[in-house]
Amino acid sequence: MVEAMEFPELSDRHNVSGVPQTTINDGAGTVVGAYPEDQLLQEIKNALK
Amino acid sequence: MSNKLLRDDIIKQVKEVFDSQLKNTVEILFFGSKDDCEHCEDTRQLVEEVSNISDKLHLSSYDLQDDAEIAQQYHVTMAPGLVLAANDGNQIVDYGIRYAGIPSGYEFSSLIQDLVLVSSRDSGLSQETRNALAELKQPVHLHVFVTPT
Repeated sequence: MVEAMEFPELSDRHNVSGVPQTTINDGAGTVVGAYPEDQLLQEIKNALK
Repeated sequence: MSNKLLRDDIIKQVKEVFDSQLKNTVEILFFGSKDDCEHCEDTRQLVEEVSNISDKLHLSSYDLQDDAEIAQQYHVTMAPGLVLAANDGNQIVDYGIRYAGIPSGYEFSSLIQDLVLVSSRDSGLSQETRNALAELKQPVHLHVFVTPT
């Protein structure tokens, strides 16, 4: 968990526009909003390709 | 002396959750910094009040600069920072859970849920997910950005 307003540089580096935003491996993948477990898993697999 | 951060009714609710759901001991490692950390004091006080609610929560406090070795061991570079880990008596087991910034608003209940999760020593994930994660060949770092609500 990163509180975006306290860490603006990190948030900018990850191109955070809307929250919650999940980035995978520093931007290899990005998911905005809430999502179910299997979707996150798929995003992780995609990001690692 | 500063005022309490958590209202009595919140403490009561959290205590009910902890009394019924906390199983094993959880170690909260707090990392503060004397340099430019607006929310360090409040975060430290917040986790102290939370850990006082249950005997199964143990808090250790560190400073990013004074305790640089420990910060490095846990890969903590931002303050206020939290590590939520398992305390198995003889050792601390790191599950890779990190908080950067004060867990206020909605994130407060995330913190409570995470403490229960670590205490259960189980991810709660489906078998399918566990199988897939067991096959990972490289590290995965998830950053979840939130704002206080």
